[in-house]
Amino acid sequence: MIGIGLRGGISAAIIVILCAALGMIAWGAQRAAVRTIVPTIVAKAESVGRSAAALVETAVEAGIPMEKLAGVPAYFEDLRSQNSELSEIRLTQGGTVLFQSGEREQPDWPQVRVPVAVEDGPSLGDIVIFIDPSIISEQVAAVLVDVAFIGVVALLIALELVALVVGARGVSVLAGVEARVRDLARGRLVRHEGADGDRLIAPIDRQLNALASRHAFARDEAERRGDARALATLDAVAAKTGLGSVHSVGNQAAAVVRPALFLFMLAEELTRPFLPRYVQSIAPASLPISPDVAISLPIVAFMAAVALCQLPFAALSERIGRRGGFMLGAGLAACGYVLSGLTGSYFVFLGARVLSAVGYALVFVSAQGHVVDRSAPSERAEGLAVFVRAIMVAALCGPPIGGVIGDRLGGNIAFLFSGGLAALALVLAGLSLPASQRRGGAHGLGLTDLKAAIQAPRLAALLFGCAFPAKFILAALCFYLIPVELQREGFSSAAVGRLQMIYPVIMVLGVPLFAALADRWSARAGFVAAGGTLAGAGALLVAFGTSPVILALVLALLGIGQAMSIAPQSALVADSARHVPGGHSAGVLGLFRLVERSGNAVGPAAAGFLLGSVGFVTSMMTVGGLVVFGAAAFILSGRVPARRDRGSPAAPEEASVP
Amino acid sequence: MTRTTAVLIALFAMIAAACVAFGAYFAYATLLNANRAAVEARFAITAQRIGATAELASGLGIALPAQQTLPDLLRREARIDTAIRAIDVADERGHVLFSSDPDRAGRDEPAHPADSVSRVMENDLEARIGRVIVHYDPVILAAGAEALAADLRFIAIPTLAAAALATIAVGLLLAASLRRSLRRAADPGSWPEPARAALASVDAAHAAVLKRDASPAGGRP
Repeated sequence: MIGIGLRGGISAAIIVILCAALGMIAWGAQRAAVRTIVPTIVAKAESVGRSAAALVETAVEAGIPMEKLAGVPAYFEDLRSQNSELSEIRLTQGGTVLFQSGEREQPDWPQVRVPVAVEDGPSLGDIVIFIDPSIISEQVAAVLVDVAFIGVVALLIALELVALVVGARGVSVLAGVEARVRDLARGRLVRHEGADGDRLIAPIDRQLNALASRHAFARDEAERRGDARALATLDAVAAKTGLGSVHSVGNQAAAVVRPALFLFMLAEELTRPFLPRYVQSIAPASLPISPDVAISLPIVAFMAAVALCQLPFAALSERIGRRGGFMLGAGLAACGYVLSGLTGSYFVFLGARVLSAVGYALVFVSAQGHVVDRSAPSERAEGLAVFVRAIMVAALCGPPIGGVIGDRLGGNIAFLFSGGLAALALVLAGLSLPASQRRGGAHGLGLTDLKAAIQAPRLAALLFGCAFPAKFILAALCFYLIPVELQREGFSSAAVGRLQMIYPVIMVLGVPLFAALADRWSARAGFVAAGGTLAGAGALLVAFGTSPVILALVLALLGIGQAMSIAPQSALVADSARHVPGGHSAGVLGLFRLVERSGNAVGPAAAGFLLGSVGFVTSMMTVGGLVVFGAAAFILSGRVPARRDRGSPAAPEEASVP
Repeated sequence: MTRTTAVLIALFAMIAAACVAFGAYFAYATLLNANRAAVEARFAITAQRIGATAELASGLGIALPAQQTLPDLLRREARIDTAIRAIDVADERGHVLFSSDPDRAGRDEPAHPADSVSRVMENDLEARIGRVIVHYDPVILAAGAEALAADLRFIAIPTLAAAALATIAVGLLLAASLRRSLRRAADPGSWPEPARAALASVDAAHAAVLKRDASPAGGRP
């Protein structure tokens, strides 16, 4: 218990407690579903029975005896094919079965009996329908899977909130206490910085400082005497116990920005599932473009604005300071979200989305700049990993929450909710980020830098064969084609949001695993090419159907493919940057960012155009085919070495955000 | 530290409670959607049946506005299920041509009317000729929503309270343990075993150096 500390212990306890509590909620949901939804399914069977009985009554009234009715089994068969839970339908007269379709497996399955009777006359027979309880259980189980998704989201949000509290300045004394107790429990006699004069910590620090002073004195004495053996003994004991060294607190730059960044990214991720439906509701019929292009245009405008703003904003954020940049960006985005929610005009909405995109780009570069500025090169990869994790968790939690808000309260309210979250991120950034340090000399990247960058070895094939297609397919499928198709098939925004979780879940789990494997096997280029091929090939699965299961599989393969390629791709870009002469390596990273984000912008535009022209299946296959072609071009470019040497682990100034 | 610990435990308890409330509310919203889907599936069968009949007549060359037997069919279908308020057949612009409720004929229906299930009708060339709209009684959904809310509230409120209390209990236990450790840490005699062993090895090393220092051979110059 000592080792884990109060903060760590209570965080772990919250995970266990919430798992148990959410398990209880799932049990309650199952109970509620059985009590409410199952009778609704039975009522549906009764309705089917009444309708069939009415048809039989009409025929009997027309003078046709029940036993002479034609086409009854075919009609029953048709009803059963449309309602999978109906296992058997019979028309009976007395104890005799006149017509029957299907056969129940168990005699005690629930049944619905509807009498057939002409007006005010006696009962002529019955329509008897048997219900397959396993189908009802499957339907309830499908609801419970949705509830389980919600549980995961609740848990992730709890952990982010815990991280927010644990990272707060107010609990630094507690952190100091825990660090001292933990070190003693491990037999480490190191000194600690900070919390000077604190009543609780002072007695421990006095002991350790006295011990360190005594050690320094003993060492001085040994040195003065020239006693090498004593010096070696003292150094060995110091190395073993940490005596004389100072406990260093790890880099906190990413931890400080994480809560504000999470909230901000959550604001944008909320909009993903309901955005196409919302745009459709406000797009006027009189627009001179097709409805599909009209739906995709706000997504394209957002992505294009982010792509175009990122390079100039890198310099702007340096000039006005990281905290100032974050707050300004969050403020702009909040205004954009509120305007998006309040306006009923398509064109004002378009403008509002661009405003949010400008804010998004500024927040992104400011947060990334904060981590890079305030971490040593050796700490940067770890810092950026925390940064990326905050964005991925937001991508995981946002769509299902946004879907439910969109369904229950409407898209406009969901946008206002996003505005509120962005404003909260602004306040949090103001409270948690250190004061801005303005740099007057920042000038950003120029065209010369980009021109020099494109000449870097292996870069063009990597950027245009893999980096651009990766973002292109992500934005085209995940943000446009699949939500629009599911919406057309009648799925709610909440269901769309849950399906959109598949991609970030796989990314969160897969990126570290594949990054480690690519480094261990020295096969980064191979992972990039294989990942691109897999992601593109996944989209071709729609040739076998467009059911939610197949679309989930498409998203899963997209996630696996991109998890394989994203980290090795960044490392290859970093390798290219090292080979650029004349100090233009920043240009390589800038170009990489620009090409990637352009893929984000072009994806929904191309998808909108394709959907309106050739339909969903061909659009998906075209996008997938292009990505496979890009990966093949990268492989065939002749610049892919079979085995790479072990280069730099990843682009140190760049976070690869899916 | 007491104040910080108390605030921290209270915050964590609130987080636990808020997340249980969040999970319960979103589970409720999910069940509500599932209930709506189950309710609407019932009326979708009626819409399907009427739409198929109208499409069949259209295939035989009878244009939708000329299908004069439809009102009788709509009335008969509406009578079958007491939860159905009205059934409309509208043309492709949403103008109601026939309805089980004669007062509704001639109205213009919005694209997505509330509390209704629609089924698009197409001709043999797959061109849209109109749609069937089944309007149902919203009470049927409200009753389901109320039952779901009651069931979930029954389990969520005690669970929420238990989660918060369990977090407080664990927090207090951890805080007490930390306080004990802190007291022991102030006195080297009560340090944990690894720290005492480390201290002993340090003391031994120091003693050896200082002893050598005190001896004639190792004496100070």
